[in-house]
Amino acid sequence: MEKNCLKSKVWISVLALLVAMPIFVVAMSWLFPERELWAHFSTILLPNLISATVVLLIGVGIGVTFLGTILAYLVVMVEFPGRQWLEWALFLPFAVPAYVLAFVYLGVFDYSGYVQVWMREVLGLSGFDIRTGSWAIILTFILVFYPYVYMMARASFKRQKINIIEAGRLLGTGPLRTFLKISLPLARPAAAAGLLVTLMEVLADFGVVSLFNFDTFTTAIYSAWGDFRSIEVAAQLASLLVLVAFFLIYFEKKARGQAKYYSNEVANRKPYRAFGVMGWLISIFIFSVFMLAFAMPMLQLIIWGWTYSGKGWSVKYIDLIISTLILTVSATLITVSIATILALPNHCKKNSSWLKSVINIATLGYALPGSIMAVGLLYGINQVSAISIYFGGQSINQIIFGSIALLLFAYISRFMAIGYNSIKASTEQIKPIFTQSARLLGVSRLRLIWKIYLPMMTPGILAGGLLVAVDIMKELPATYLLRPFGWDTLAIQVYELSAEGLFEQAAIPALIMVLFGSVLMIIFQYLDKKS
Amino acid sequence: MLLVNHLSISYQATQILNDFYLSLATGDIFALLGDSGSGKSSALRFISGLDEAQSGQVVLNGKQLSNNGIHNVAPELRKIGMVFQDYALFPHMNVKKNISFGIYNLSNSEQKTKVEELLLMIGLKGVERKYPHQLSGGEQQRVALARALAPSPKLLLLDEPFSSLDKHHKERLVLQVRDILKKTNITSILVTHDKYEATIFADKVGVIKNKKLTIN
Ligand SMILES: Nc1ncnc2c1ncn2[C@@H]1O[C@H](COP(=O)(O)OP(=O)(O)OP(=O)(O)O)[C@@H](O)[C@H]1O
Ligand SMILES: [Mg+2]
Repeated sequence: MEKNCLKSKVWISVLALLVAMPIFVVAMSWLFPERELWAHFSTILLPNLISATVVLLIGVGIGVTFLGTILAYLVVMVEFPGRQWLEWALFLPFAVPAYVLAFVYLGVFDYSGYVQVWMREVLGLSGFDIRTGSWAIILTFILVFYPYVYMMARASFKRQKINIIEAGRLLGTGPLRTFLKISLPLARPAAAAGLLVTLMEVLADFGVVSLFNFDTFTTAIYSAWGDFRSIEVAAQLASLLVLVAFFLIYFEKKARGQAKYYSNEVANRKPYRAFGVMGWLISIFIFSVFMLAFAMPMLQLIIWGWTYSGKGWSVKYIDLIISTLILTVSATLITVSIATILALPNHCKKNSSWLKSVINIATLGYALPGSIMAVGLLYGINQVSAISIYFGGQSINQIIFGSIALLLFAYISRFMAIGYNSIKASTEQIKPIFTQSARLLGVSRLRLIWKIYLPMMTPGILAGGLLVAVDIMKELPATYLLRPFGWDTLAIQVYELSAEGLFEQAAIPALIMVLFGSVLMIIFQYLDKKS
Repeated sequence: MLLVNHLSISYQATQILNDFYLSLATGDIFALLGDSGSGKSSALRFISGLDEAQSGQVVLNGKQLSNNGIHNVAPELRKIGMVFQDYALFPHMNVKKNISFGIYNLSNSEQKTKVEELLLMIGLKGVERKYPHQLSGGEQQRVALARALAPSPKLLLLDEPFSSLDKHHKERLVLQVRDILKKTNITSILVTHDKYEATIFADKVGVIKNKKLTIN
């Protein structure tokens, strides 16, 4: 082993472990067992909550997998009317925060929403409650999270050699068998990665489940903390979530196997064309997904926002925008920088299972619900202060709690996985042969990074940055708990208003968020097209 | 029999083929020569129904497959086999699965016999369970050939299928494949850069020159 490996090991470990700190704090909570509370939880609450969570995960998982891969296959492999436009439009729902879609659907289908009023007054039917059962919340989650699967599966379909599909066709295989036997197996690892992200998002969700009054495992965490004032039990429950995430990641890695069957060239040829009735059916299908996940909810927001803006537009939106931007931009820059360092190709990483696991741990924060991350950080800072006072120093609480540092930390820790995975993917085209030939030419490591690695990683870094930014802007629970006084964001405003049923008032900040998010997604699309 | 008529292909403003004409009797083996970039692969892609053209007609055994550069019959229904220039093996399937991909409607035991027979012919017995990335270039090429032969196509298009083989293997395989094609009476077109290979394999040889086909 070369000697500078020690240096890079130390550096990477320190960075990665720092990012993963909230997870360790949460895990440490097991040092303070609370038997009575656990007895209460495990007999009364948990069984139902776990089964509800499992139902939710299975329903959403199946839904996003089907919807995401089928949409991706159609836009990549089939030529049909409006394809180019729809391929692009399907990304936009990514800009819609889950709780925004949830409150729009609740507003429309609630007892006092149009649909039920119309049913009562025109049809004379009795109303229904969309909060009963789990179908409505599952559908909402599917519409919000299918873009993860869509995005990953689409990228994978695009990298498949068209040749292979053509070979299949000349062997007498129709579109369905080609999809099932060739395209789908090749895209399976990518779709599984998208599914993984979706499941972690659902596990960590706070906004949608609370708007729908749907009790999940997360509810137990809040209950432990809110009703029983036990940070420890809340953290212990949360660490179980991390464990589940750990298993999911493990299975995803296994599903991926050694499979890397990609070509570098992206062909513009479409193997299939669907014109006539079939083509229009496909267009209509995709268009209706877009309508349900984006266009109709946005239209509803615009109507609400318009109604409300007559009653009082105020400058407070400017303040909200400014704090949202400052937080988003700074957290994104730091996240992406750290992710880049962690993802840089490095021969030390290849041979060190220690480094590999440390980096994996650094990306686990994605599974921690934002609120738990917040509690973990607060708890951690408290402990540090206690130690500092013990040694005759000062409490650091004042300094930290009054600043945005803790919130930035939470964002970085939580969204490292998004940035890292995107950047890591871009390093996969850096073949060992490039490094080897550069080294044979006597190029120093710094120059290698600067001249070869970073230029090749730039698309991944930009894409990762955009996705991280959208996620941070949408983030709710950690922001809610950790923002210093005067740092309300758009997300906070939307949630507070919509939780009280003030949908019209919530519409304007929601629209501003979606607008920002859409702009970022459009830039993302543009970069994607160029690369 | 195969008839290719009035075939003109252009990409953007560049004309590649102009009024290409070819007629073959059933069972004929034809070799197509031409400089690199002269449009040999493009011609095969049109005949197989994968790409459309400015104009062109394809008639196979009395059935009009394409007309005016547009395809009436989809590639999967043409019963045309093709060995791609870059093999295009399915990377996630082993050799056996690759070869039997086009004969999935046969029974398992029939598939097995067929695969064994073909592997014996291409001299690759015992590689059934290997994956394409575990094979050398020449071995992959032979598997691609076996895969195209398995469904007994009516027309076989071979885009430089022997290019990665050494002289010794090449000559043996060329003659063997010719033998099979003759026995099964499969009409075929071989694209190659090797004049010797063309003469021992084919009944007729043609060259693309100035965007047209001249038969020697
Ligand atoms: N999809 C395409 N778009 C634009 N130009 C193309 C496309 N496919 C092929 N060409 C061009 O058409 C010409 C003929 O290509 P083709 O692949 O048919 O040549 P070829 O005779 O098979 O050559 P080789 O012997 O090198 O395989 C080439 O100049 C090529 O650059
Ligand atoms: Mg060619």
